Amino acid sequence: MQSGAKIMRHFEQELEELKGKLLEMSALVEAAVQRSVAAVAQKDRSAADQVFRDEARINALEMEIDEFAINLLATQQPLAADLRLVVAALKINTDLERMGDLSVTIAERAISLLSEPVIKPMVDIRHMSALVESMVRKSLDAFVANDADMARSVLASDDAVDSLRTASYHELISYMEKDPQNIPQALDLIGITRSLERIADHSTNIAEDVLFLVKGIDVRHHAEARQ
Amino acid sequence: MRHFAVELEELNQALLEMGALVESSIHCSVQALVDRDERMARRVIEDERRINQMELDVDARVTRLLALNQPVARDLRLLIMALKINTDLERMGDLAVNVAERAISLSKVPPVKPLIDTPRMASLVEDMLHRSLDAFVKRDATLAAQVLPADDEVDSLRDKIYSELLEVMQLNPVVVPSAIHLMFVARNLERIADHTTNIAEDVIFLVRGVDVRHHATENKV
Repeated sequence: MQSGAKIMRHFEQELEELKGKLLEMSALVEAAVQRSVAAVAQKDRSAADQVFRDEARINALEMEIDEFAINLLATQQPLAADLRLVVAALKINTDLERMGDLSVTIAERAISLLSEPVIKPMVDIRHMSALVESMVRKSLDAFVANDADMARSVLASDDAVDSLRTASYHELISYMEKDPQNIPQALDLIGITRSLERIADHSTNIAEDVLFLVKGIDVRHHAEARQ
Repeated sequence: MRHFAVELEELNQALLEMGALVESSIHCSVQALVDRDERMARRVIEDERRINQMELDVDARVTRLLALNQPVARDLRLLIMALKINTDLERMGDLAVNVAERAISLSKVPPVKPLIDTPRMASLVEDMLHRSLDAFVKRDATLAAQVLPADDEVDSLRDKIYSELLEVMQLNPVVVPSAIHLMFVARNLERIADHTTNIAEDVIFLVRGVDVRHHATENKV
């Protein structure tokens, strides 16, 4: 009995450690998203440089989390809700790493925009990025707090991001048609909105994983109650 | 134990079936673009639902195998790889749908330029996907490693397509919307290639992980 309790406590500790690592990763990714956008909107080169520096840490953490989760599965053989949690952690880990990559893409485009005079005010990019940043934050908070309502609110924002992106896309096309000199810069801006949209998609993936996780737990509770 | 082996084999088959459908979606989306064939593009869009369903099925299968069999070492890694490959395949399906949607838009306007490099890029990417899945099924790291160099070739084709389209746009701003569609098609194909690279890297990691474990368990066996 006592050793059973000990094993349980050990497992709980490891789950907490896994969550802790994911939180560290998500804090880094959230900061990378913010910095990459600041690099674009405020022409802030040092913000872009920080994004490049943090990428190595994000990549290393991704591998660390994968290894940790796999070892946890192997040594603890979790079931039901705990198993779902570890599987969700693996998926969220992949999404976070891709979000980090996308921040790097945005930061690279920010660098190429540094030397050019702006063809248009960055109002819509600021709007879009504020929305995307809040999706990133909410999806991760929802994961930590097991909060299905918050996860659902992330899904609702995804359509708003898509329509902001479409609007800015059409506007940028008209800039290009007006003056071919605008083309390279407009292409960078289109690329940035596309990356932001994809970051939003990854947040949506995370929110969906949280919903699955919470629903799975609900189902399991019902099954236990029946027994 | 034998039962688990059978289930693993079924999982392999499910992933291969999904891979075949994704491969065909990639092929048809680019064919639809070249032939200006809206019906073919619509079929790719319809097939996405099947791919999404397959993704859910594979995830459910893996989660069940993890729960019921509590595999360790090699089998555990294999199941985790299956989860990752599943995600990569589903994303590739999404990207093919995006190409198909652009093919539909482009079928309604005059062609910008003859498409030679884009189908070449597509067949490279299809080949990469085919070989990376083959490497997974055979657990063959050498085969997987052979997928990686093709990625550079895909990247340079994309760069070539980009700079050509940029030139076309600057000469004739009327074609900007079409040229951007074609740029995104190249971008999507490049991202599909990246996903096949993910799969190949997973296979290499899987096989190496197994090697390490074999050394670790040698004394006990």
